[in-house]
Amino acid sequence: MGTRILAVEDDERIRAAVKLALEDEGWAVSEASTGEEALEAFQQDPVDVVLIDIMLPGIDGFEVCRAIRRSSDVPIVMVTARADTHDVVAGLEAGADDYLTKPFAPKELSARIRALLRRARSLDSGSPHLRFGDLEILPDEGVVRRAGREVHLTKTEFRLLVELAQSPGRVFSREVLLERIWEHGYFGDGRLVDVHIRRLRTKVEADPANPRHVVTVRGLGYKLQA
Amino acid sequence: MELPKLTGRLGLRARITLAFAIGALLLSALLSATTWALTRENLLTQREAAAETIVYQNARSVRTRITSSTGTDEILTMLSNLPAPFGSRPIVYSGTYTPLTPEFGQDALPASLREVVLAGQPARMRYEYRGQTQLAVGVPLPAVDAAYFEIISLDDLESTLEALAISLVGASLITTIAGAALGSWASRRALRPLSGVSNAALALAQGELDTRLEVNEDPDLRPISESFNQMARSLQDRIERDARFASDVSHELRSPLMTLAASVEVMANQRDELPERAQAALDLMVLDVNRFHQLVEDLLEISRFDAGVVHLELDDVHLAELVMQAVTHTSDVDVPVHLDAELAGVVVRADKRRIVRVIANLLDNAAKYGGGATSVSLTQVEGGVQLAVEDRGPGVPPEDRELIFERFSRGVTAGRRGSSDGVGLGLSLVAEHVRLHGGRVWVEDRLDGEEGARFVVELPVEEHP
Repeated sequence: MGTRILAVEDDERIRAAVKLALEDEGWAVSEASTGEEALEAFQQDPVDVVLIDIMLPGIDGFEVCRAIRRSSDVPIVMVTARADTHDVVAGLEAGADDYLTKPFAPKELSARIRALLRRARSLDSGSPHLRFGDLEILPDEGVVRRAGREVHLTKTEFRLLVELAQSPGRVFSREVLLERIWEHGYFGDGRLVDVHIRRLRTKVEADPANPRHVVTVRGLGYKLQA
Repeated sequence: MELPKLTGRLGLRARITLAFAIGALLLSALLSATTWALTRENLLTQREAAAETIVYQNARSVRTRITSSTGTDEILTMLSNLPAPFGSRPIVYSGTYTPLTPEFGQDALPASLREVVLAGQPARMRYEYRGQTQLAVGVPLPAVDAAYFEIISLDDLESTLEALAISLVGASLITTIAGAALGSWASRRALRPLSGVSNAALALAQGELDTRLEVNEDPDLRPISESFNQMARSLQDRIERDARFASDVSHELRSPLMTLAASVEVMANQRDELPERAQAALDLMVLDVNRFHQLVEDLLEISRFDAGVVHLELDDVHLAELVMQAVTHTSDVDVPVHLDAELAGVVVRADKRRIVRVIANLLDNAAKYGGGATSVSLTQVEGGVQLAVEDRGPGVPPEDRELIFERFSRGVTAGRRGSSDGVGLGLSLVAEHVRLHGGRVWVEDRLDGEEGARFVVELPVEEHP
């Protein structure tokens, strides 16, 4: 079964054109024009990637994102109006994996989706179990346990944690993480990393305000320690 | 609007001051003259009355001692014994004139006075003699067939009056100066609200659109401040409406642009299946959808600046690396980059996205109008860093060097630059981004003397601790 994408967008013509462009990539695209429709469609038929425009009539994009996150770790791409507002951070905090700013080129969208799909695929088997104090990471199974209890991470959060965990103590700059996890390269938005690190901490740290494992190295980046 | 003629005209303040001074001068001169005249008359009359009393007493005393046979020596002795509190000079007439002091004899008396007195009428007369004011009083003594005269000098009074005149002129001068000072103060006070209006208008002109005048309690000034504020309000409304319109338009353009871009891409994917003419049309569409895309993005960015809602997304930026990356990724051709060795490890607080846009737009500008960038350099200068992009184009003539950073300024030198690629927003965005960072941007000739422009961006740097 091929990759399925749910496109949530209230402008009918944009939706139709984006659907055509994504179908050219060989993906099956279902559509929703409101937040309510999107949630109903997702419940009935979970897809592989969700594309959500923040500006929606009724339930807005943030709320749709949070509602989906309550039950699923499906990759989500947000479409925001502006890059320099709080919208981006709010969207990422609501659970989005990546974002695009209108107007964007469809090629860019498909590149982002491909990167997300690659991230969602399980890692190569044979990776050893990793332990950082009370934190236990099983890359093969896609499982993370803190104090023996399993914590639920999205695919992006998981890949971020594994990336840091595979070189314990090494400091990763945000540019490097953007390149390796999001495949954005040098000019990506550092806030993607920052917000995901924050989300990760709320799940793997006993006290997210005073992280012990995922620590910030000021001016340089992030590292993972025991 | 008609401009006032400035030549040979005094300002309002000078005119008010002058009017006050002239008024004070006229008034004080009139008062002084009146005071002087009245005082003079008063003093002279008093002195004359006092003198007359003494003259009559002396005349009486002369009458009792004189006979037709009294000799000159006796008369002189008699005269010298008479009281003379005002320094008067007595003269007795009994057939001939016998003066006590020879210089004040018959000739010193006015002829008209002598006639009247000798005709039997007592008389007095004020007159000038030997350059001094004199008073002559004559009393006929018919019982002894004689007459008694006294000449009294009024000159001490004149010097008193002179002193008074000097003090009055001095007082008038002081009054005039005080009047001028009062005029100057009053005019400044009256014009003070005007300087407030002028400052507010200046602030408005400099773009502080929410400048308002304090509404004055004074009923005369209230209408001015109110109408000024009304003008400022409608100006602000209009400018904000224009900015909002530009912003709304560019936001509205995004949706059709999204549809166009996606549709064109779908068509481009099937390009090979299209007839040749449709392919040519498609290629044009792809190019102009890209241009449209850039224009809308630039307009959105500009309208954000206009709405005043921009803020820097500050980050720790490794400047040298950022410049290298930006040049490598945004330029199709290899551009040599010169970096100051001291800048190799410098990390600054900056908005990465905006700095990348600055570099990209400068390189883009060089590619479109300058035959491509020939070098990019990053050097340390006092208090900051300089990023310079040089090209091999015709350069920018000095008169266009400011204009070129204005919006849609491409028209200025478009004739020579002759490209239809640009939309003329790139450099104005560079200027806005740089200004937001507290830096400045300018264009100059290439330093090596070759033909070409050199765009320089100077950014202040607070080194990261």
